[in-house]
Amino acid sequence: MKEIYLPIKAEVVEVLDMTPDTKLFKVKPERPVHYQPGQFFMLSLWGKGEVPISITSACGFHEYVELCIRRVGYITSAIHEVKPPCDIGLRGPFGNTFLAENAKNKDIIFVAGGLGIAPLRPLITRVMNEKKRSRRIALLYGSRNPGEILFKDDIEAWQEKGLQLFLGVRKGLQFILSAGKKDNCLLSGSGPAAESSRIPKISFKNAYAFVCGPPVMISPTMITLSTMGMDENNIYTSLEAHMKCGVGKCGHCYVDGVHLCTDGPIFSYAEIRKRRLQIV
Amino acid sequence: MKKNLIMDKNYLSYWLRQIRKTMSLIAPMRLKNADIVFKQVDNIHEIELDCPASLPSPKEFLLPQKEYMFRFSKNSVDVLKDCTKRLIFGVRSCDISAIDLMDRFFGEKFVDEYYMSRRENTVFISIVCNNPDPTCFCIGLGTGPFLKSNFDIQLTDLGDRYLVETGSKQGADLIRGYSHLFSRPKKSDYDDQYEVILSSQSKFEKRISLENTRQKILNEKINDLFWDWIARRCFECGGCVYACPVCTCFNVVDRMEQEGDGYRFRIWDACMFKGFTRMAGNVWPAEKKGSRIKQRYFHKLLYYPDHFGRFGCVGCGRCTITCPGHVDMATIAHRIDVGDRRRR
Ligand SMILES: Cc1cc2nc3c(=O)[nH]c(=O)nc-3n(C[C@H](O)[C@H](O)[C@H](O)COP(=O)(O)OP(=O)(O)OC[C@H]3O[C@@H](n4cnc5c(N)ncnc54)[C@H](O)[C@@H]3O)c2cc1C
Ligand code: SF4
Ligand code: SF4
Ligand code: FES
Repeated sequence: MKEIYLPIKAEVVEVLDMTPDTKLFKVKPERPVHYQPGQFFMLSLWGKGEVPISITSACGFHEYVELCIRRVGYITSAIHEVKPPCDIGLRGPFGNTFLAENAKNKDIIFVAGGLGIAPLRPLITRVMNEKKRSRRIALLYGSRNPGEILFKDDIEAWQEKGLQLFLGVRKGLQFILSAGKKDNCLLSGSGPAAESSRIPKISFKNAYAFVCGPPVMISPTMITLSTMGMDENNIYTSLEAHMKCGVGKCGHCYVDGVHLCTDGPIFSYAEIRKRRLQIV
Repeated sequence: MKKNLIMDKNYLSYWLRQIRKTMSLIAPMRLKNADIVFKQVDNIHEIELDCPASLPSPKEFLLPQKEYMFRFSKNSVDVLKDCTKRLIFGVRSCDISAIDLMDRFFGEKFVDEYYMSRRENTVFISIVCNNPDPTCFCIGLGTGPFLKSNFDIQLTDLGDRYLVETGSKQGADLIRGYSHLFSRPKKSDYDDQYEVILSSQSKFEKRISLENTRQKILNEKINDLFWDWIARRCFECGGCVYACPVCTCFNVVDRMEQEGDGYRFRIWDACMFKGFTRMAGNVWPAEKKGSRIKQRYFHKLLYYPDHFGRFGCVGCGRCTITCPGHVDMATIAHRIDVGDRRRR
């Protein structure tokens, strides 16, 4: 029988300080792991406990994985104390994935708030690598202050491949909305010149959106995007819940008839509304 | 596999004594002048069968209140798994139905190896309830007082003898080698069985239809004020969850014994507790007591039927006995079904 609670060993090979409370951990699991964008690991420290952490490195089959962790409590503080070389435990990957296949050849808008960029990073990287000239892809990215912009190198690389970057989520959404009121067509260049540079040039009707960030950001973003005419089935987000097992057994993440750890954590806006899932 | 036999009551203790040689025997016993609990049997004659249902359910033996999962030290990790062979004797039908639900829950998708290891080594002898307790309402759910299938061995007390039905391979293994204790049932035995069941069915004091309750909830007849009103009487003690044979939620905790050495274990947890869903940064998704109670009852009354085709309640009535605020499944279901002035 497969041991679902037994973590495999993983060696921490590098730790990078990203902001005062966020570190990037590069770890080498005992055996290479295969994962998809949006999935998470249960990271385990013997003697402390386990926490769910999204995989932030490029997806696929890899020897190394990267985890971006913010210090917020008991276990994450303990993880921040880890100095390489050192072993930690990993279980997973768990959870469903961002279905990027459906969004093939469609415009995409990514909305990330703070650490929300971490689970989106593998997806953005994949999309930008597969991107053809005609496709328009935008990233709205906000953080508490400009010093906390994460993954600057990646963002530059994506911009070189044609990503439209907009810093500041709330401002970005406001621009989208105010521009939307002026003229219903938000396609390239149709707004007043001064504003058009701040509006993602994508066609909202056919676009896909992937939204990740703190709950206070998720609902207004989803509402704005659907107001702009985006199909609710095409707006995805990753929900968060207290998790203990990651495999649908402990019951901690069970809300409204779904286990966020196995049925989620990724849901479309349509599903969230249908099931009346709570965005905490 | 299905086989019916008759056993004289005088043979029971001999049979159990023989079986006990190969596995640990667990049965309902009376603590000194107090509650009935399932525990390991030292003296077979101390087994209590004519008694109210045990307060702690036998789920304890499949999902213990505290189960050690791993022992870790600086450079090694041991998986701790319980493989003790157990016979649990004298279980009621409702509890067997609850175990059937747990089997399906722990056995689907990611299979829980700790539960399975205990489950595969446990066999049950259940007894048809001739005298249901005043709190029992299994009759409305089809989970008791007797079972048609899904049991290992089911006994029906026919006065001076038992009708012994085997329903599984593990059950059949308990009979094998003891054919001298059993005889073929006669027509009169089946007639007596019929009488016993009819008489038992007539003794139920509570008639509760969870299906009506479910329909009322689905038709949005119940609003959040109802749950808030229930919540005012709940002490958040968690007793209803711990006593319930169907509830399975657990927490996982690490404990250090000394530098680098320790255990990881799981313990029962309850969705009735405020901290159950707490997240870092002081986020409390289910801060309101009413929303937690609603979640628990929606799980049992709506989500279980959606997912498993059966209610997440077997009508054992334990929450009725436990709840100090008198807001148990039977009461709540009755309020929802039959009416309450706060209902729209
Ligand atoms: C699918 C998913 C992906 C995540 N990805 C990341 C990531 O990439 N980087 C990152 O920094 N954080 C991520 N988180 C949040 C992270 O899991 C929590 O910050 C972490 O559990 C807090 O643990 P703690 O012991 O430090 O906090 P404490 O407040 O001390 O929490 C104690 C316990 O509560 C539970 N808990 C508390 N907060 C959360 C929470 N927000 N989510 C789940 N369980 C919680 C945990 O079981 C934890 O052990 C993710 C959460 C989820 C659900
Ligand atoms: S909800 Fe109450 S009556 Fe139903 S199975 Fe659980 S403890 Fe028994
Ligand atoms: S037993 Fe009663 S008082 Fe205790 S948590 Fe359950 S409903 Fe609340
Ligand atoms: S984390 Fe345990 S059930 Fe989802």
